[in-house]
Amino acid sequence: MAESRRTFLKQSAATVAVVSLPSCAPTAAESPDALVPATLRAVGEAVLPEELGADGRERAVAAFELWSEGLEPVAEMAHPYLVPETVFTGPDPRPGWAAQLSGLDIESGKRFAASFGEVGVPERRRILEPHVRRAGPDFGRPENAAHIAVALAAHFFASPIATDLCYGRAIAKQQCRGLAGAGDEPAPLPGAAS
Amino acid sequence: MSQVIESDVCIIGGGISAAMVAERLAERTEASITVVEAGGRTASLEERTATRARMLAYGENPYPNDHIPGQTGTGEMYQSMVLGGAAMHWGGAVPRYSPEDFRVRSLYGVGYDWPISFDDLEPYYQEAEERMGVAGEQGPPEYDPRSKPYPMPPLPLSWNLERMREWTDAAGIPFWTQPWARNTEPWQGRNVCQRCDTCAVCPTGAKYTPDFAFDRLLAAARIRLQDRTLIRSLNLASGSDRIESATGFHQDAPDQPLEFRARTFVLAAGHSWSSHLLLLSANSRFPNGLANSTDNVGRYMTGHWFASGFIELPMRLYPGIFPNNSLLSHRFASPGPLDRYLRHDIRLWESTVGREARLATDDGRVLWGDEVMADWRARTRSTATARIRSYYDVIPTPDSRLTLDPGMRNAHGDPMPRIDYAAGQATLDLEPHTHETLLGRFDELARAAGGRMMSTRASRLFEHPGGGCRMGDDPATSVVDRWGRTHDHENLFVVGAPTIVSSGCANGTLTFCALSLMAAEEIAKG
Ligand SMILES: Cc1cc2nc3c(=O)[nH]c(=O)nc-3n(C[C@H](O)[C@H](O)[C@H](O)COP(=O)(O)OP(=O)(O)OC[C@H]3O[C@@H](n4cnc5c(N)ncnc54)[C@H](O)[C@@H]3O)c2cc1C
Ligand code: SF4
Repeated sequence: MAESRRTFLKQSAATVAVVSLPSCAPTAAESPDALVPATLRAVGEAVLPEELGADGRERAVAAFELWSEGLEPVAEMAHPYLVPETVFTGPDPRPGWAAQLSGLDIESGKRFAASFGEVGVPERRRILEPHVRRAGPDFGRPENAAHIAVALAAHFFASPIATDLCYGRAIAKQQCRGLAGAGDEPAPLPGAAS
Repeated sequence: MSQVIESDVCIIGGGISAAMVAERLAERTEASITVVEAGGRTASLEERTATRARMLAYGENPYPNDHIPGQTGTGEMYQSMVLGGAAMHWGGAVPRYSPEDFRVRSLYGVGYDWPISFDDLEPYYQEAEERMGVAGEQGPPEYDPRSKPYPMPPLPLSWNLERMREWTDAAGIPFWTQPWARNTEPWQGRNVCQRCDTCAVCPTGAKYTPDFAFDRLLAAARIRLQDRTLIRSLNLASGSDRIESATGFHQDAPDQPLEFRARTFVLAAGHSWSSHLLLLSANSRFPNGLANSTDNVGRYMTGHWFASGFIELPMRLYPGIFPNNSLLSHRFASPGPLDRYLRHDIRLWESTVGREARLATDDGRVLWGDEVMADWRARTRSTATARIRSYYDVIPTPDSRLTLDPGMRNAHGDPMPRIDYAAGQATLDLEPHTHETLLGRFDELARAAGGRMMSTRASRLFEHPGGGCRMGDDPATSVVDRWGRTHDHENLFVVGAPTIVSSGCANGTLTFCALSLMAAEEIAKG
């Protein structure tokens, strides 16, 4: 991968993180339901695109962790149009996700006599497949994901960087970009085949 | 004992209609003005960058505390009760109604004519556009009549919309840029749009929200704002049909009544709460509610319905360049003579529907990492999606009603509103023809680009609702006159959405604002 494209990925991953703001929720380190970083990264290797490279995947996982720390359960949602009742997000998915991560290790141990992070990506995908299949075909919003693997992938694929990589263009959705240039075809990403 | 607050004009409600009236009166009269708003303040402009980020990340409401627990009703209503009202959340699409909207009975033999014409309202449309700051592209004059240019140049068409306009030109239907209450030039101290694309909450202030107007008026000491104060009744002067006072409570002092006395009262409480307060204020002289001697309050509640769809286009677009802009056509809102009545607009947007990353293929094969990307790229390389939607005119009926619901009460024990919307029989009779024609038009447009319809939908949600206090020259069939003055009470005006006769086939808020400004001209006479 060209160096300039790596730089782009790095900058864009930082942008993904910008939308994850701190809230009153406890940090992962304080929480008993923290997502085990090593297992989460092992999931990332299974569900995130390899073309991101190790650095890009690490940034995507780190952005997810930051997002997850800021998640507030049962938050008031943006009002649906002309609905007089308040609508709330769901209960905290993180304890379930944390339990799933340890479940992955247990299952991997039973199946392959090694932790989830120690087995290869094909084995990890075999373990994850039923959970992902159950969620598909659409990702949905990450906070609604019934499984951590789907939440992680949904968070990445909804990001501006994922859209730009898909199209090979610097679209920069939802980034304040100014009006100038709106009428231009978005510039190709450095090093990307368009 | 009540605390008494006196002013020349007391405006009840702090939404966009109230902002228009307050601004005009403050500029053109010496009157002392009190604005009473049930809700408080929500996220300031400075806070909107942070609330926007959380909305994007988590889907959270970017306007915390913008409603009052327990103060809600049944039926299609806005939840926002806050300084700025529903227009804190709005998208800012501000088309005018078409001249035909005001004369459907005369022209087409259906529905009701308004007591005013498009030409009567035109100067107030222009004034409303200048007050909020509207950026627009002049459409063909026969479909977009106006006496002066839009205050600001239009928002630029994105590369995607340019391609889509080439397609609609080829199809022979004129489309132009949707007018928006969003700045393309600095306007009244507010920023130029930065294409952040989250217009429900605008972090730059480029989108007009009514709190800006109230803040200006407060800074100039031209209004008194009494927020977090719910008015629970309007009260008559003894031996007269004039309104003497409005009484309510501050949220923090529910045992301390507040009494607002004024020469003129302006009810600017939106499409649901205006009729509600009139009904709630029933007394021995008006046992069915104030302004309701002819039983018209709460009737003719209306809005427009829509048909919509997604079109697959054989072209590459880049969704995300500027999805908050769109193309608009009013070609069929001014259709000329018709055999069967149907008037509608058409909007077109870029869309990601059917072209998002997905976890599994149609046949259920799970996709992983690079496979997700490859599948996504394959579905976006040479095809794209456009969203199409047409609002169409619904014929109002007196049976479409807001009533008091004794089964649902707020913290004070007041019955809450219940809205049972209904469409006139003419609309129901025409519905099959309407859908067939609209879906046929969508299909024709799709085929003109070599595309195809992916899906369609018909909605009976009453969008941009209004009515309940409709205007008219005849007190037997209306609640207010053309100026919004109630037929029953010479010093009580109702402004904006509740006063519309019909809701046309265009987003309504600009019209609500123009009507409010027209009422303000009469109110200013004292
Ligand atoms: C998500 C969203 C998007 C929208 N987008 C568009 C768009 O693009 N274009 C468009 O034309 N329209 C749009 N609308 C609709 C638009 O926001 C409304 O038509 C408009 O804001 C109505 O303004 P209003 O002043 O009539 O009423 P409101 O905004 O409802 O204001 C009435 C105010 O009165 C107060 N009030 C009520 N009763 C009392 C009482 N008894 N005492 C004291 N105060 C009281 C309420 O708290 C409220 O703040 C949108 C709405 C939403 C929610
Ligand atoms: S696109 Fe313009 S109006 Fe909309 S949120 Fe961004 S800056 Fe505000």
